[in-house]
Amino acid sequence: MIEINNLVKKYGDKRAVSDISFTVNDDEVLGFLGPNGAGKTTTMNIISGYLSSTSGTVKVNGHDILEEPELAKKQIGYLPENPPLYNDMTVREYLNYICDLKGVAKDQRKNQLDRILSLVKIDDVYNRLIGNLSKGYKQRVGIAQAMVGDPPILILDEPTVGLDPNQIIEIRKLIKSLSKTHSIIISSHILSEIQEIADRVVIINNGKIAAVDSISDLSKRLSGQTKLLMTFKGPSKDCVNKLRSIHGIVSAIPRSSGNNLSQIEISIASDNSTEVRSSVFFMMANAGWPILELCSLDPTLEEIFLSITSGKARK
Amino acid sequence: MSAVFKREFLSYFRSPVGYVAIAIFSFLSGFIFYSMFSQGVANIGSEVISLRSFFVIIVPIITMGLLAEDKKRGTEILYYTTPINLFSVVVGKILAAFALYAVMFLNVIIHAIVAVSFGGTIGVGSVGSIIVFFFMAFMFISMGTFASAITDNQIVSAIVAFVIILFTQVLSTFAEYIGSAFKSIALSIKISSDAAAKIGHNIDSFISWFDPFAKTTDFRIGIFSVSALVFLVSIGILFMYLTYRVLDKKRWSQA
Repeated sequence: MIEINNLVKKYGDKRAVSDISFTVNDDEVLGFLGPNGAGKTTTMNIISGYLSSTSGTVKVNGHDILEEPELAKKQIGYLPENPPLYNDMTVREYLNYICDLKGVAKDQRKNQLDRILSLVKIDDVYNRLIGNLSKGYKQRVGIAQAMVGDPPILILDEPTVGLDPNQIIEIRKLIKSLSKTHSIIISSHILSEIQEIADRVVIINNGKIAAVDSISDLSKRLSGQTKLLMTFKGPSKDCVNKLRSIHGIVSAIPRSSGNNLSQIEISIASDNSTEVRSSVFFMMANAGWPILELCSLDPTLEEIFLSITSGKARK
Repeated sequence: MSAVFKREFLSYFRSPVGYVAIAIFSFLSGFIFYSMFSQGVANIGSEVISLRSFFVIIVPIITMGLLAEDKKRGTEILYYTTPINLFSVVVGKILAAFALYAVMFLNVIIHAIVAVSFGGTIGVGSVGSIIVFFFMAFMFISMGTFASAITDNQIVSAIVAFVIILFTQVLSTFAEYIGSAFKSIALSIKISSDAAAKIGHNIDSFISWFDPFAKTTDFRIGIFSVSALVFLVSIGILFMYLTYRVLDKKRWSQA
């Protein structure tokens, strides 16, 4: 468990992180979201002990990171944004070196490394130079490095950045499998990934927490914005006017048109979400404009994220 | 500490750096030994003393990457986020460079064997010079490691180390120069020439006190002074500590 209380990090006059508090429970995956420069990496660096905070405390399983650094650091495996790899070492040499740094006893070493290798699936490159590995493999070696020493907590800073889609899926699977036995803090720009993996989300903007919530609660909170997307054949202007007259529709905005197809995004008042669809259907049928597609747009984490961060920014 | 030492020492041989340093040292020591040996002289002591003037080239080569490279690669984060102590990181790095120096020194051992087998002797003066050589190597390596800690650019690190070591080598000349400068300043503000000379002399001898080469000249004639060795070790430890402070401060950086 990690308890973060009133964390502040100042760089000169600028507050990179200002007054952040949250907790990470055991065996929980916490997604850490925010735009570039929001203070995600700074916060993760402070939790891992790389930077010290200007004020505030970080307690890792009860050990303060500044007062009992050795005990606290033993609980954490950290994968920074750029994995700390030595290109001139083989994976074997590197992981043994990390074992030395983390003080893993010689007799446990083989077992532990075998387990990590098969979990992270890097057995086949074990004797190759890290410099010659692909980016995906390097990232795995980085994750393996974080897992050395069996820390109960893993902090992963953008673990899928710069990987191709296949690699992203594999790393995501790996993180999912790790989440059964570890508490994980994961930051990412790929919001669908957080949506898939995380139990809870902390959204941070300008160094401040914008929201802490489970993903389903966040969706509920924004359910007033239920939307439909309709694709049809017909004139978009006339259709918009007709749609606006239907009870329960808040707004209808044309999105794009081409190949004599039109797309209209329809926002619905939350209490009327089901009725509207049939009204829309009959209206369109009467007008002779065939509906080709009608789908509901659930608020994605992307929208939640944008509405929260941009809302705060405007204030 | 041993982990850092092992990695760092082996990394000299994973890149050209270790080989280049050993090659330069072998060439220089071999050349010096050859030029004496061909004239029928085989004084290991004076060979070692001549080799001291090449600290200024070899030490920057072997220390420039020690910490600067970690910063550039982003691997320094390991020292902060694993339970290892930062000071032992510094000690491990310095020991690795020192060990490389010891490997290079095998050249001199070979020369000594050759000299002895041709009927030469290894006098107490030679032993003294060798002792001083290693203590100085430690001191200069500490300085070079410090230079490596303050930048993430190996070239800058090498230049800073070069300048620091060069400065210690020309310290006596520098002291003389500053002394005479103060003497002329004193004369120009109408202080009696005796007093002016005294001021100049005092300043000269104050700065010269820090000259590691002057402090250890007696070793070559077999007079060992513990205080001189303590001096070299103290300066070495001072730079070791400064290096540690630079690393530790980074965590607290507000800029």
